[in-house]
Amino acid sequence: MLRQRLIFTLIYKDGFFYQSRNFRLQRVGNLKWLERNYKFKEIAFSLDEIVVLNTSATQESLKEFASTLSSLVDGVFIPIAAGGYIRKMEDAKLLFENGMDKIVINTILHSNKELVKELVEYYGSQSVLASIDYRLVDGVATVYVENSKSNTFKTLESYVKEVEKLGVGEIYLNSIDQDGTGFGYDLESVRIIAKEVSIPLIIAGGAGNEKHFEEGLSLIGINAVATANLFNFIGDGLPNARKAILNKGFNIASWS
Amino acid sequence: MKIVIVDYGMGNIKSIESALKYLGVEEIVVSHEFEEISSGDKLILPGVGSFFKAMQNIKKLDLDVMLNKLVVEEKKPILGICLGMQLMCRNSEENGFHEGLGFISGEVKKFQEGLLKVPHVGFNQVSTCSGSKLYDSLDNLSDFYFTHSYRLKSDEDINQSTCTYIDEFIVSYEFENIAGVQFHPELSQTKGLKLLDNFIKNF
Repeated sequence: MLRQRLIFTLIYKDGFFYQSRNFRLQRVGNLKWLERNYKFKEIAFSLDEIVVLNTSATQESLKEFASTLSSLVDGVFIPIAAGGYIRKMEDAKLLFENGMDKIVINTILHSNKELVKELVEYYGSQSVLASIDYRLVDGVATVYVENSKSNTFKTLESYVKEVEKLGVGEIYLNSIDQDGTGFGYDLESVRIIAKEVSIPLIIAGGAGNEKHFEEGLSLIGINAVATANLFNFIGDGLPNARKAILNKGFNIASWS
Repeated sequence: MKIVIVDYGMGNIKSIESALKYLGVEEIVVSHEFEEISSGDKLILPGVGSFFKAMQNIKKLDLDVMLNKLVVEEKKPILGICLGMQLMCRNSEENGFHEGLGFISGEVKKFQEGLLKVPHVGFNQVSTCSGSKLYDSLDNLSDFYFTHSYRLKSDEDINQSTCTYIDEFIVSYEFENIAGVQFHPELSQTKGLKLLDNFIKNF
């Protein structure tokens, strides 16, 4: 049976990893620090996938980001998806050349649909992950781009349909309101969207403990749950959460 | 042990290199040159992307001729991964109809639409076949990581293992010196590493 997935998301900017809260960033440490304090490569053995997001909105930052990714790949034997500020074909190429299995795109889904189609055609649907950030505006889930700064004035429901038509392989849905709070996923919005989506759906934003993962995995139409919460899943946090979820009979992979 | 990863410009080669390094392979070379490829003890044909584009690149580099000589005539062991596994088969209906390398009798077809989500992404359980060299000491129904929209079908017995998603399809084949897997062993944690190690030791 196809398993559901547990994903960890790393937020990156100019050489350091960050904890995000409602998209405000708090610096945690560089790659060496992450390895020393979180034993990240060991933790990766209890994950299904890793997503790394570059939040530095400059073209120059991409090269430096790519070289960090290249060192992250060594000794991690699960898929890694990365993105942030991909604006042309060469940006994607740079990430793939540095060992990425998938790219993550966000703003260009809104601003440059032709580029999205080109990426899908060249690298295949399964290599392109569409990241969508939304927040509730007067109770309506509304999509934001450019690191959550710019309102598209489009509802999440209509946007998701638009994005699917571009041929992307998966959707990574992140609630700006819940981001980094540790209060749990925005289950209400997710429940509605999950019914509309015909490609794999990953939810993010708000997970603070294993209960939240379980809530997400229990919803129909959810393929993966993600968290970027370094603080709440420090040390054995993730391996233990995975074990607990497996013991409760959830449909996730077991490698032991 | 020298393993050559055949490079035709598509797919994540770095993950495969990293896994082989972890398994202690002495020499790992990425190349599309005949001399390098023919000096390898074993070959890996990687790949992610479209079947047609991949065959175009392979032909442009004369890799179809090279691989035919080394794999079919000289029986050099080869493992195809994901698209690499599909390329060694007869043909694919991805974006039209395209001929593959034709080493294995099998045809690549799209998942039936409208039933479950496509692409098929994530870990899924594999029903292994008896007497398999690839799955040596790996349990039946072990989890491996998949990501694909097309899958292999064959009317013949190609010593296959299978997986069920939408319908039952072929996940791997083992024919003399030729092996292929639809999933990504280099992205499948400890079980994937074990499978790669089996290819290195048993083929």
